Amino acid sequence: MPAEYALNNVWIGLGMVIILFAIFYAVGYFSSRKTASDEDFYAAGFSIGPVTNGLGMAATWASLATFLGVIALILRLQVPFVYLWIQWAISIPLLTLLYGTSLRRMKAFTPASFIRQRYGKPSTIVIVCWMILIMIMYALGQMVGLGQAFELLFGVPYNIAIIVAGLATVGFITIGGMYGATYNAAFQMVVMTIAMIVPMGAIMKAMGSSGWWFPPLAYGDMVPDMIKNIPTFFDMKYDFRWYFALIPAFTLGPVALPHLAMKVFTSSSVKSARWAVVWFALFLGLLFSGTYVVGFAGNYFTATTGRIIEKADQTILILNVFYNPTLVAAFVMGGAIAAGLSTIGGNLMAIAGLVGSDLLGIIAPNMESAKKMKWGYAALGLGGLAAVLMAFNPPRFLVTSILWAFGLLATTATPAILLGVWWKEANKLALIISSMVCGIIFIVISPHVLPSICVGSGLVAALGMSGGMVTIPLSFAMFIILSIAFNRMPALKAYAPTLADKQVIDRIHGWGPDYDESRYNGIKWPLIISAVCVAVFIWGLQPW
Amino acid sequence: MKEKIYKKEIRITIIFTVLLLLTGHSASIFVLFPGLQQGTLWGFPIQYIIPILLGWFGIAAVCLAMTLVCNKFDDEMAEYVKTLAPETDTSTENTQK
Repeated sequence: MPAEYALNNVWIGLGMVIILFAIFYAVGYFSSRKTASDEDFYAAGFSIGPVTNGLGMAATWASLATFLGVIALILRLQVPFVYLWIQWAISIPLLTLLYGTSLRRMKAFTPASFIRQRYGKPSTIVIVCWMILIMIMYALGQMVGLGQAFELLFGVPYNIAIIVAGLATVGFITIGGMYGATYNAAFQMVVMTIAMIVPMGAIMKAMGSSGWWFPPLAYGDMVPDMIKNIPTFFDMKYDFRWYFALIPAFTLGPVALPHLAMKVFTSSSVKSARWAVVWFALFLGLLFSGTYVVGFAGNYFTATTGRIIEKADQTILILNVFYNPTLVAAFVMGGAIAAGLSTIGGNLMAIAGLVGSDLLGIIAPNMESAKKMKWGYAALGLGGLAAVLMAFNPPRFLVTSILWAFGLLATTATPAILLGVWWKEANKLALIISSMVCGIIFIVISPHVLPSICVGSGLVAALGMSGGMVTIPLSFAMFIILSIAFNRMPALKAYAPTLADKQVIDRIHGWGPDYDESRYNGIKWPLIISAVCVAVFIWGLQPW
Repeated sequence: MKEKIYKKEIRITIIFTVLLLLTGHSASIFVLFPGLQQGTLWGFPIQYIIPILLGWFGIAAVCLAMTLVCNKFDDEMAEYVKTLAPETDTSTENTQK
């Protein structure tokens, strides 16, 4: 990176990071005093109110990619990546609507808690293993971003930055449990929103925009200059399939993200969870719109000044170093770090829940709660360590690993959760087969493992969009058709849903003792969905 | 009555799922119907600013409507469950406020 973009006073950056980490550790410490049981550790005692939870949801979802990778991709792809990013905001509302509140009724710690009750132990092990892999991939993206932010702040080599950032992060998350993660995430959301929006006002003013007073939406006067310099900036650029592919690959993946679902589960009630979603949409919309303006400004900067941003991931930091005083630039980097920490916090808590609650619940069902919690702490630390180690050799764009993981999650876990909640015919063996077969196919046809076997090409393949458009509908169709077939084979009777499995579904929908066999049990609509999925699968296989 | 509640639950879920997908993916509509890519709003091309506004305020409005409707539906479900036998399942939280 050119030296002119480095923070010119390292001590200011160091001071900013020390202050922020001191606050995070303090919140973690005071929160830890509330943690007395596994309910406290994994779900903050099911007690978080809607505004705090909405902030926490937004912070956990926003991630460091919002500050770094997204802006990098807007710099390269321009407006289509804005459209790609907008749709993330429906993930938690969809999650809450489709299964979050149902699972909140059963006081689940993670979505896998439901999988265990609904499908039994072998299916849970399959889903939990996929989820742990995906959570580590997700945490990896955040670690890479944290390393880059520390590298820029202190001028230390990237590998040292990764170790320092990783250890400091895992430390405060381990101390606080879910109480600490939630309260810290709420605070971090405030920090990251201010860091994203306010300094952009000064940058836009320096760029000559009259809309500097509200950066997220008031830069329309810069549009003619932008079109003059980059005539293709607002072009949609791709055909309809590209935009449609966002639904299977990116909308359906985050719906199953355990760390997002856990934010719904921490709510004080089902109704409170829904109110939290309203706050989430408002808070996240403000932050995301701030991200789009930074992407716009990054393009505008390169087009109008003729300067090249070599490390596109660092655009927001470079703009602030260029236009704003050192203290402001250091605060923006602090905001970026807060974004990374909030998401890693959620990721590691999810790993802790998946191992400490779900896996141990199967392997050692009689283990004491306190001992399970200790294993949860160990899993949290090991998950953080794995992410740090993998971050030494990261993918080119830090979002790549995250987006690829979303496609894998939508392929392996989303059908299990959605069909499990809404369809009594969903069969245990069909789940295991469809999840494993389609998950492996997704890995094979993406360019990261076997580059010679690939569906789609270029960025759509690298991000998992083209792979997801094939394997996600295939997974849904396979799960539905195999379930219907297996449930009618006497030899496979052991895998068919039992009465107890079916009763879980009625109960989590709020029917209490009123069980009705015919409810959520038809096959007409599932078969129609299968037919649609097969059509999408074939469409996804066409060259693109 | 329970059949009516069941159908209502399915209807609510489908309607809000579709509304959320439309607000989150409104850019697709401009690709599907290129004729809509005309005009400006607040200085921005319409196909740029509308998806951003729907992706923020549109989603928030749908979430608000979803919260009001679903919370009211929960009350209806709770009323129905109360009319059942006295061994009402306490594991559900329909009655939580």
